[in-house]
Amino acid sequence: MELIDRRAWMGGVARAALGVTVLDRLALGQAQAAAASAKAGSDVNIIYLMMRGAMSHIDTFDPKPGRDEQGETKTIQTKTPGVLFGEHLPKLAGLSDRLAVIRSMTTETGAHEQGTYLMRTSYPQLNSIRHPSLGSWTLHVKGKRSRDLPGYVLVGNGNEHPGCGFLDPAVTPVPVASPELGLENTVRPRYLSEANFDRRLALADRIDRDFKRLHGGAEIEAYNQMYKDAVRLLGSVDLAAFDIEQEPEKVRERYGDFTLGQGCLLARRLVESGVRCVEIEMGQWDMHRDIFDELPEAAGRLDTALSALLGDLEERGLLASTLVVLGTEFGRSPRVNENAGRDHHPAVFSCLLAGAGIKGGVVHGASDERGHSPEKDPVSVADFNTTIAAACGLPTDKEFMAPNGRPFKIGGGGKPIGAVLA
Amino acid sequence: MSRFFLIFCMLSAVLSLGAGSQTSEGRQARKQRANQQQGLPKAVMEEPSGPVMEVPPVDRSTRSTVRQAASGIDSLLATAWKEKGVEPSPSLTDEQFVRRVYLEIAGRIPSYDETLAFLDSKAGNKGAERRAELIDSLLESPDYVSHFYNFWADILRLTERAQKTLPFEPYLYYVKDSIRTNKPYDEWVHEMLTADGRLWENPAVGFQLRDFGMPLPYVDNTVRVLLGTQIGCAQCHDHPFDHWTQKQFYELAAMTSGTKMRPGPQPGQGKPKPGQKRAFQGMRDPDAFAVRRLLQEVKRETDRNGVVQLVLANATNVKFADRPLELPHDYQYDDAKPLEVVSPKVLWGEVPKESASADGRSQFAAWVVSHDNRQFARTIANRMWRKLMGVGLVEPVDDFREDNPPSNPALLEHLTDLMLQFDFDLREFVRVIVSTDAYQRRAVVHDPTSETPFQFTGPALRRMTAEQLWDSILTLVARNPWTVQRPTTEQIAEIVSLDIKQADAQTAVQKFDDYMARFGPGRYQRSLHTVCGYRGQLLLRASEMPAPLPLGHFLRQFGQSDRETIEGARQVATIPQILAMFNGPITHSMLERGSVLYDNVTEGPPKEAIDVVFLSVLSHRPSAEDRGYALQEIMTADDRATGCGNVIWALLNTREFIFIQ
Repeated sequence: MELIDRRAWMGGVARAALGVTVLDRLALGQAQAAAASAKAGSDVNIIYLMMRGAMSHIDTFDPKPGRDEQGETKTIQTKTPGVLFGEHLPKLAGLSDRLAVIRSMTTETGAHEQGTYLMRTSYPQLNSIRHPSLGSWTLHVKGKRSRDLPGYVLVGNGNEHPGCGFLDPAVTPVPVASPELGLENTVRPRYLSEANFDRRLALADRIDRDFKRLHGGAEIEAYNQMYKDAVRLLGSVDLAAFDIEQEPEKVRERYGDFTLGQGCLLARRLVESGVRCVEIEMGQWDMHRDIFDELPEAAGRLDTALSALLGDLEERGLLASTLVVLGTEFGRSPRVNENAGRDHHPAVFSCLLAGAGIKGGVVHGASDERGHSPEKDPVSVADFNTTIAAACGLPTDKEFMAPNGRPFKIGGGGKPIGAVLA
Repeated sequence: MSRFFLIFCMLSAVLSLGAGSQTSEGRQARKQRANQQQGLPKAVMEEPSGPVMEVPPVDRSTRSTVRQAASGIDSLLATAWKEKGVEPSPSLTDEQFVRRVYLEIAGRIPSYDETLAFLDSKAGNKGAERRAELIDSLLESPDYVSHFYNFWADILRLTERAQKTLPFEPYLYYVKDSIRTNKPYDEWVHEMLTADGRLWENPAVGFQLRDFGMPLPYVDNTVRVLLGTQIGCAQCHDHPFDHWTQKQFYELAAMTSGTKMRPGPQPGQGKPKPGQKRAFQGMRDPDAFAVRRLLQEVKRETDRNGVVQLVLANATNVKFADRPLELPHDYQYDDAKPLEVVSPKVLWGEVPKESASADGRSQFAAWVVSHDNRQFARTIANRMWRKLMGVGLVEPVDDFREDNPPSNPALLEHLTDLMLQFDFDLREFVRVIVSTDAYQRRAVVHDPTSETPFQFTGPALRRMTAEQLWDSILTLVARNPWTVQRPTTEQIAEIVSLDIKQADAQTAVQKFDDYMARFGPGRYQRSLHTVCGYRGQLLLRASEMPAPLPLGHFLRQFGQSDRETIEGARQVATIPQILAMFNGPITHSMLERGSVLYDNVTEGPPKEAIDVVFLSVLSHRPSAEDRGYALQEIMTADDRATGCGNVIWALLNTREFIFIQ
């Protein structure tokens, strides 16, 4: 059992000098350190596409042709015999041999915020504790791959992200507002020499000493950490990883001229340069009204972005070491409502896995003929996240003690889906 | 120190900002755009010529009542401290007090002049009177309106485009104006819950329109915000860990389900009809007919979708007529059948007698705001307490439940009584809390995951909100951060309003063109940039900025809400925030010639420069030790001006600057 005592981590100066990974091992203890370092050799990355607003399963990866519930969305044959997708996913249909489709995801909450939180952390949202997201767990166990670059990047809105939860602030994701702009304000003004910059920081530290002595606490400690990380990042040659405009026009076009597409391209660049986890958010899915007018664009974007990402990763030999996840907080109702939309539907929905540790060409589980409930092999959010953790070689049975003394498992103590693990 | 050098170096420092090695053309282009406007815009450098807005004065004669109320709170807290065996935090120094009270009432740090004026004031001699006078004067300032607008904008999800087709600016202005006039909270809420009409005729309808076409989420959100109770789960099934049933949810929703947002069948209501897509189908409804006629005419005249949207915006007209609500088709419990009509019923207590025969929506509103419905007063009392003390007596403030009890029940009931006694005068309530001894103590670190409840031995230590940080930096830069204010209801009405029954297609097209010219995408923002733009930023109070701001904006980086979730703002540390503080244009705006800080530093005697910088940024004079560090920095830097710039930058990048002590 690993004890996560954040206060013990707040060592301050020594920490910055040692770097995160080293201290991580110190905290883990000798035996576990050996295991962690062995695993770090396997070098798994995660790119997580989060479909915010709840992606309709029937119109994408779990169609019900011939039923009223199907509405106006037609179906197409995929490369996998007998497996159909919604008509707006032609490129992914052609890549179905790389995908593990899970059609029997099921959850209980039909509220966006709670559902997204559960998907990201494997635990229900509570007042008394903030759980770490899967990416933060991954960094906690495996450490960063790059000295200067962050280990975890979120393309989208950081406000609703659980981030590092009760883990060290060092494993919190770095939010990037727009893939085109990348990480802004990284260029030190020309008049400001490195030596002068260091003087400024040293002075700030000196003047801040009384305040810091009076007030500790996680919030302030998080800022201390961010200052250290930001300083390390500035002036790093690796920063170019954040600049997607260095990519050839042709590549940028292939990913699609919208946030998800360019975000996927950014993710590939970052992973290539040593960022371990990247999450890209896409909104647009909360289609309570006129769903059949809105689907072509949203699903088309997903189709373009994800297929480009998978193809590109494969071409570069990165797919074997990169787990690609497509997640969403829940599904949408089989019944088309009076506004030609679909409402929230937690009972069953679909998610995808591909790449590192995953068997392609698999459809796991099934919903009933209406697309209303799981009919075969229901998969809980904890099962899904435990599968992700297993594919990445993270310990899923081990208990980690949070500062409040409660035990937590990576993946939430679910059962990994053997059928999709390679 | 040589003043000439200071000016020269600061200026040249600023001019060379951002000239690093950029790699690609696109970035280069963006940078150039950001660099186009050199120097601070003239309008923000000059003091405003007249009053920014009229705010009703605070009644000085009630000060003793306020003091009494404050000591009532203090004695309850003192009892709790004694019981728990905890010691109160040390009292605030004047320096700490002036900074905290500006931040929490005016939403920004005090300026150099304001800090000095308070610290050096001898008025009334006694500390308490000086502090009371400062509190009162801040509560009647436009800054108070601005700050509490930001507070409510986060709760009410205030955005200019809650619906694609509707300009919401009138509602945003209405909220700001309700704060300005200090409209009693119960009256304000009642107005919003029962408002009829179009947005620019009666902007209070914005509250109901915020959940346009989603009558059930509307009930969920309304109860959550106004009554601190989460019944949302019961929309789909009986609440798993509370006692709310799905039937209760529907009974409550039945009270407001007759709200019509536009003529004809309503979105989110009515039976599905095969092939039916949209509203305005009601054949016998003359209003629906008029809309349909105009829409057809417009579509013949033009294929510009915007004109259609303008007609739809004008067709959005809130009205109410009772209408039965059915349980869902898959209702699964034994106490009723699927599709059974439910009778309207409040969640607890009763509808006040005088409203018993009114329509469902009026009954609902009367019940919510009634003095007999203590939960309404309790919720807002707890919310305002949290706003000022950093932690609610119930947390989260919108999740009152039996198994989530208040940390100090006696205090919560006392505050509820106070709220009722003050007839929901929120400004007076704020005045009382900031006058307590507990509030005027040094901030205490609070760990929300701790098993022991917070004892309020002082307010909880918090980072500034994004808006507080933005407006504080602006205080160091702009003499007039109010060069533009959000558009008023009248300004929008004039441009948007169309008489659907009379108008023809040409009028609609003309209206649309006028609207685009003034408020069209990009147009409005460009017009703001010509007044107060600086390197792609608007040097404007956060409350007056377009909303929501793009994700990459300084305010969003520091956690301002996207205005889609209730209280979506966060104060979490991220690397982009630090980079913005290091290198962002807004940090450097204060080093520009003509900024408040620049002028204060350069106009005074050089030997006072260090004091000016400390007082300006941290609201206190430097300790002997800090003065030594700063002086050493200035003396040993390449040149003195660089040294002085380094000191300013260093102070901005302390935790002391962004946390409210």
